Amino acid sequence: MTSTDETDERDLLGHVLLPVAHEDDALATARALEPYDPERVTALHVVEKGGGVPDKTPVEQSEELAAESYAAVRRVFPDADEHTAYSRNVVRAIFDSVDEVDATAIAYQSRGGNRLVQFLSGDLSMKLVTKSHVPVIALPREGSAE
Amino acid sequence: MSEEELAKDLGLVSAMTIGIGTMIGAGIFVLPGVAANAAGPVVVVSFVVGGLIAMVNALSVSELGTAMPKAGGGYYYINKSLGPMFGSIAGMGDWMGLAFASAFYCIGFGQYLAVFVGLPTIAFLNPIQLGALLAGAIFVGVNYIGAKETGGVQTVIVFMLLSILAAFSIAGFLSFDYATLAGSEGGLAPAGYGAILPGTALVFVSFLGYAKIATVAEELKNPGRNLPIAIIGSVAIVTVIYAILVTMMLGVVPWPELSQDAPVAQAARIAFPQSIGPITGVAGVAAGVMTVGALLATASSANASILASARINFAMGRDKIVTNWLNAIHPNYATPYRSILVTGGLIILFIALLGREIEVLAKAASVLHLIVYALMNAGLIVFREADTPEYDPDFTVPLYPITPILGAVLSLGLVAFMDGIEIALSAGFVIAAVAWYFIYARDKTDKQGVLSEFIRSREEELPDQVVDAADAVAPTGAGDEGPTIMVAVSNPRTESALITLAGALAKHEGGRVLATHIVTVPDQTSLETAAENRTGLDQSSELLLKEAAADAEAFDVPIETKTILSHRGIEEVFDAARTNDADTVVMGYGGTRFAGGRVEGSLDELTHDLPCDFLVLDGQRLDLSDVLVPTAGGPSSDLSGEVARALRDTVGVDVSLLYVADTGDEESGREFLTDWSEGHGLGDADLRVETGDVEKTIGRVGEEYDLVIVGATERGLLSRIVRGSLAFDTIENLDTPVLLSERPSARSLWERLFGGR
Repeated sequence: MTSTDETDERDLLGHVLLPVAHEDDALATARALEPYDPERVTALHVVEKGGGVPDKTPVEQSEELAAESYAAVRRVFPDADEHTAYSRNVVRAIFDSVDEVDATAIAYQSRGGNRLVQFLSGDLSMKLVTKSHVPVIALPREGSAE
Repeated sequence: MSEEELAKDLGLVSAMTIGIGTMIGAGIFVLPGVAANAAGPVVVVSFVVGGLIAMVNALSVSELGTAMPKAGGGYYYINKSLGPMFGSIAGMGDWMGLAFASAFYCIGFGQYLAVFVGLPTIAFLNPIQLGALLAGAIFVGVNYIGAKETGGVQTVIVFMLLSILAAFSIAGFLSFDYATLAGSEGGLAPAGYGAILPGTALVFVSFLGYAKIATVAEELKNPGRNLPIAIIGSVAIVTVIYAILVTMMLGVVPWPELSQDAPVAQAARIAFPQSIGPITGVAGVAAGVMTVGALLATASSANASILASARINFAMGRDKIVTNWLNAIHPNYATPYRSILVTGGLIILFIALLGREIEVLAKAASVLHLIVYALMNAGLIVFREADTPEYDPDFTVPLYPITPILGAVLSLGLVAFMDGIEIALSAGFVIAAVAWYFIYARDKTDKQGVLSEFIRSREEELPDQVVDAADAVAPTGAGDEGPTIMVAVSNPRTESALITLAGALAKHEGGRVLATHIVTVPDQTSLETAAENRTGLDQSSELLLKEAAADAEAFDVPIETKTILSHRGIEEVFDAARTNDADTVVMGYGGTRFAGGRVEGSLDELTHDLPCDFLVLDGQRLDLSDVLVPTAGGPSSDLSGEVARALRDTVGVDVSLLYVADTGDEESGREFLTDWSEGHGLGDADLRVETGDVEKTIGRVGEEYDLVIVGATERGLLSRIVRGSLAFDTIENLDTPVLLSERPSARSLWERLFGGR
C-alpha cells in the first residue's frame, strides 16, 4: 500500500476513483464531479459477490450493469478508465481498487435513504470515510438544499 | 485472474449446502407425518424411490450444467435445445414450481412457528397460514432489500442442521423399536404396496433442491468438476438422511400418531430421555432445538427458491420470453426487486388459497418440476443427437441414451401418480405457458432451439409434417427480421462499395444494415480532446454516414448509423459487432490495417474468435456485372457462395465458380463444382475448372472479372490480413477488387448460439 504522504504534493484530483452503482447513479456522480475538472477519472463498479452464497443478481446481469455505468460516466468524461471489482465487501473492494489503479482520491455521492435503510443495506458512506487511506470526496447531491 | 474467474466464488461446500439446505427442510421437517399417514411405514421406500428418480435426473442436470454453466438452469437448457415454445413451458413451469415450493416451505415454517407461539385465526386464515404468510413476507422482504446472510451463515445453518439431525438420529436409534415401526395396525404397508408410488409423488418435493445448484452454475469455481459432485452428492446425501431419519421417526412414534404438522418436534420429545443425570427437561429442550432447526431449514429452502426464481426470470427476460421490465435492478439495493415482488405475490397468493392443503402445494410444485425435468432430458438427447459441435459437457451421463430416456419416463411416470387436481392444475399451467408463447413471446423472442435448426437443416430427409410442425411453432421475433449486416466505413472512397455489398446481403436475407464509423484517435490524443474537436469530426462523420444511408436506400433496406470514438481500431470493430449483435461485418481492407501495434498480443486470440462472419474488401470501386468465386469447399466458401448468390439475386451479376484442380483431376473437380454449385443455389453459375498453382490461377482468371470472392481456407485469414502477413501476393496485386470472406470457427458459433456475446 502506498502511503499518500510519500509523494510530497499529490494532486487531490490527479486520478479520481469514481465508484458507481448503476447508470443513473453513474451519470449523477460524474456530473457532480465534472465542475471540479479532475485530471483523470477511473470509474469503478463493484460486483457484489455472495461469498459462499449465490449473488443477488446473475453475474451476467451485474456485468451489464457495470457496462451501462461506465458508458454513463463516459458521457461526462469520455476518457474515463474503467475498473470492475468482484467482492463481498464493497468498501474493501473500493480501497483495494484505489491501490490497483493508483488513485489519488475517491469521489462518491451518497445514495441517501433513511438510517434504517442505510443500516440494512450496509452503511457504505460511514465505512468509506472512516476507513480510507486516501482522501474521500463526498460530492454534493443534486437538488440538495441542506 | 481473469474477470470471469473473479466472478466465481462458490466452492464445492457452498454448492453442496445450497442443494442440501434447500432439500432437507421439506423432507425431514414437514412431510414425514403427512406421508406416513397416507402410506404407512413403507413411506420410507417412497423416499428412496424419490431419491432414485432425482438421481437419474441429477445426472442429466449435471451434464447440461457443465455444458452450459449459465444462469437459469433447466429453463436455459430447454430453451436452447427445444426452442422457445418448450422454453416457455419450462420457464413458467420452473418459476411457478418454485413459487409453489416456496409456499409449501412457508407453510412448513408456519407449522413449526405455531408450535412456538400461539397465532390467532384471522378471517379465513388458520394460524399456520398466518405464520406462513408472515414468513413469506419476511423472506420476500429480505430478498428485496438484499440484506445478505454473511457468507458462512448458510453453511453454518446446514452444518447445524446436520448435527441436530445426527443427535436426533442417535437418540432415536436408542429408543427405536421395530415393533413400533411394523407393529401398528396393518403392518408395514397398511395401504398396500401400491401406496409406495403415490407416496413418492407426495414426497418428491423434498428433492427439488439440487437443480438450484445449476441455476447458479456460472458462479461456481471449476464448474466442470464441482457442479456434478455437488448435484449428485447432495441428492445422495439427502436420500440417505431421509431414509434413516424417517425410518427412525416411525420407529419412535407409531405412524398413525405421527404429527402431521410438526413431526420432528413430536418425535424428539419422545426419543430424547426426560432427563440425563441431574439435568431434567432434556426432551423438552430437544424438541425446542428441533423446532428451531425446522424453522431454519424451511426458511433457507424458501429463501433459496425465491432467489432461484429471480434467476429464471432473468434468463427468460434475456430471451424475451417475459418482459425485461421484470428484471430491473433496484437502484439502492441492487436486487431484481420486481421479479422478487411478483414471485412473492404468487407465494402469498398460494399460501392464502391453498395453504390448508399442504399436499396440493407439495404436489403442484413437484408436477411442474417433473415436467421441466422430462423436457430437460429430451433436450439432452437433442443436443447429443443434433451433434452440436459446441455442446461439450465436462460431465457426461453414463449409459446414454438409457439415462436421459429413463429420466424422462420416470419423471412423467411419477406425474401419473399425482391426484387429479394437481395434474389439472399443471396441465392448466402448460396450456397457459403455450398460450403465453403464442400470444406474447413468439413475436418477441429471436432464439431458435437446436432442435428446430436440426429439423430445418435436414428438411429434405425428414417428413413434411415434422418440418411444418417446427415452422408452426418457430419464433417470429427479431430473428425473422433477418440478420444485421454491420459495415465499418472509414474512408469515403470505399464507403459506396462496402454499402453496396452490405445492402445486397441485407436485401437478400431480409436483414438490416448498420453503418458504423469508427474514428480512431491516436493514443496521444485523449478521447476528451477528440470529443472537443467533435464539431469538425461530426461533420465528416455525418457526411460519410449520410452517404452510406443514401447508398443503402437504393436497396430499400433499413439502415442505422453510428459514430464510435475509440483509441482502438480493429478491436473496436469486434466489440461493436458483438454489442450490436451483428451477423456479418463488411469492412475495407484499409480498415483492417488501423490496428497498429497496440493490440499485438491479443490479436491472435481476437481474430481466432470471430464474433460473426467477416467480409473484407480489397478495392475501392465496385462496378459489378460478373463475379468469380474460387472454391474448394469449407465454411468460409459457403459464405462466399451466399454473398455471390445475394449479388446475383439483387444486383443481377453473373456468377462463375472456379475450382483449381491438380493436372489429371479435372473430371472430379468438375463433379465437385457441380455438386457445390447446386448445394449453394448457384446451379446457373458458369463452372470453370483450371489446373496449375492455386494462387496464380486465381490471379490469372480473376483478371477477367469485376470481383473475386475468396473464402478463407483455414482459420485466421483475418488475423493474417491484419498483421500484413498474408501470403496472397498474387491476389493482393490483382487489379480486380477482391472480397475475402471468413466464417467463424465452431467455438464462436457456439458463442452465438449460446449467448456469450
